[in-house]
Amino acid sequence: MRQHDDRVITRRALRAVSPEIPGVVLEVTVRPGTAVGAGDVLCLLESMKMEIPVLATRAGTVVSVHVAAGDRVAVHDTVATIE
Amino acid sequence: MTHTLPIGHDGRPPDTSRPRPADDRCPRRRLSLLFDHSGGSDADSSGVAVARGPVHGRPVHAFCIDPGVRGGALSRAGCARIVGVVEAASREGVPVVGLWHSGGARIDEGVDALDGVGSVFRAMVRASGVVPQISVVLGPAAGGAAYGPALTDVVVMSDEARMFVTGPEVIRQVTGEQIGMRELGGPDVHHEMSGVAHVRARDDDAAVGAARQLAALLRTPGRDEPSAPEDRPALRRVLPERAVRAYDVGPLLRLLLDDDGIELQSDRAPNIVTRLGRLGGRRVGVVANNPIRLGGCLTAAASEKAARFVRMCDAFGVPVVAVVDVPGYLPGPAEEHGGVLRHGAKLLHAFAGATTPRITLVTRKAFGGAYLAMNARSMGADAVFAWPGAEIAVMGAEAAVGVLHRRALAALSEEEAAARRAELVTGQRTATSLDRLVAHGHVDRVIDPAETPARIAEALDSAAGGRSDQRNIPL
Repeated sequence: MRQHDDRVITRRALRAVSPEIPGVVLEVTVRPGTAVGAGDVLCLLESMKMEIPVLATRAGTVVSVHVAAGDRVAVHDTVATIE
Repeated sequence: MTHTLPIGHDGRPPDTSRPRPADDRCPRRRLSLLFDHSGGSDADSSGVAVARGPVHGRPVHAFCIDPGVRGGALSRAGCARIVGVVEAASREGVPVVGLWHSGGARIDEGVDALDGVGSVFRAMVRASGVVPQISVVLGPAAGGAAYGPALTDVVVMSDEARMFVTGPEVIRQVTGEQIGMRELGGPDVHHEMSGVAHVRARDDDAAVGAARQLAALLRTPGRDEPSAPEDRPALRRVLPERAVRAYDVGPLLRLLLDDDGIELQSDRAPNIVTRLGRLGGRRVGVVANNPIRLGGCLTAAASEKAARFVRMCDAFGVPVVAVVDVPGYLPGPAEEHGGVLRHGAKLLHAFAGATTPRITLVTRKAFGGAYLAMNARSMGADAVFAWPGAEIAVMGAEAAVGVLHRRALAALSEEEAAARRAELVTGQRTATSLDRLVAHGHVDRVIDPAETPARIAEALDSAAGGRSDQRNIPL
């Protein structure tokens, strides 16, 4: 049953957006209440000497933002949640 | 002009006067979506319909499994018909398209049916790399009916497609897990996760339409006269002003090619884009880093995706264009443990071994091992172009100075070090300048971005066109 449970958790977690790549937050471009479309930029990370955006995985409204400029984020960290 | 000749037909032209059958899933309707004019054929008791007809004016062989005959279960006789079609296509050197909708082998025929499925696998492997094999999955395709498509060059899945080795019921009995058919093997999971599907389409029409496009792009070109592509001044403005900024490579590729073409595996490893299209009428396969995802870094998954694409292009003599803007390989234990060396080696192997013409364009940067993996000169590129200002180096200038002069810089005061560092970075940039790269033969020419389509077309026309004599293993 374990895999099945994981799948359910993953689906629930769809609302939380994590970066694809670890990095340092340069700028957060949304705040709670911002309406976003899938693919919109939530924040910019500095990684691999580049500015790489974290993109909204779905359309909706930003519920919470969990990072600020200067924070170091890892791949499993939540940057923001979208509802 | 080739006309549709259903194999085993009695010689009369197909009857298209009848109203469309009520069942949209019948082979006659599905095959008629494939050919230039309506003219499918019906399945016989074997459950498999076969046909040959024009697709964009030139012949294609096709088979279609009829879900109306025992749920599309594969009989020995049906398998023999599929083998016949694949072999006929190989003899003629034309693409073969399979339309799948099948629960797997016909259980009541026992090992006879299983044997038939094995003969289909063998025929497909023997035809691999000889003629393009395109699979369109339009409904459930289980077991052997899933491995059939998985053995071919390109898999298109409609929204109704479900592919798996063992279905939800067996999984429930054996492991106790409960999962639906769509979650187990629908188009989303195979497009985003497993890498089984190359193209996702909303319905039968769009899925078979994609197969038409793929057949035209993968088959040996006809006598069409390619043209000199026009200059595209918009290419001068397609990169972000700031060199560190990520961007989507999609608009750049649309300016480079005649039209959108067709992207393969768009949702898996999106940090690399693999797209078939045309450049002044010439068919090309484009492999492009996509900086908006993972900064365009190479990963294990991206390497594997690109390697399979390059090998397929090579198998059918489709020239490859590498559009390079790559900061390196993505660092981290997940990548190392995930086999970035093994999968990355597939991409090196694919490029270095390819005999089809291959052109490289460095738009912004190409560093280190990733520079080599994206079809560098030393890997055998027929031509290497760079846009003005492009950086090609072992690593970025700042990073290189940090490594080369760490001790010297550490000995200086903070202020002195900053000044010295700036000086060294400038020096490093000169040492790896495009002029020097051209002088050393790593780059053939620095080109005006607007002229890129024309320069690539010229290079393709003057390259010795070859094609691999190897099979296209589903990497």
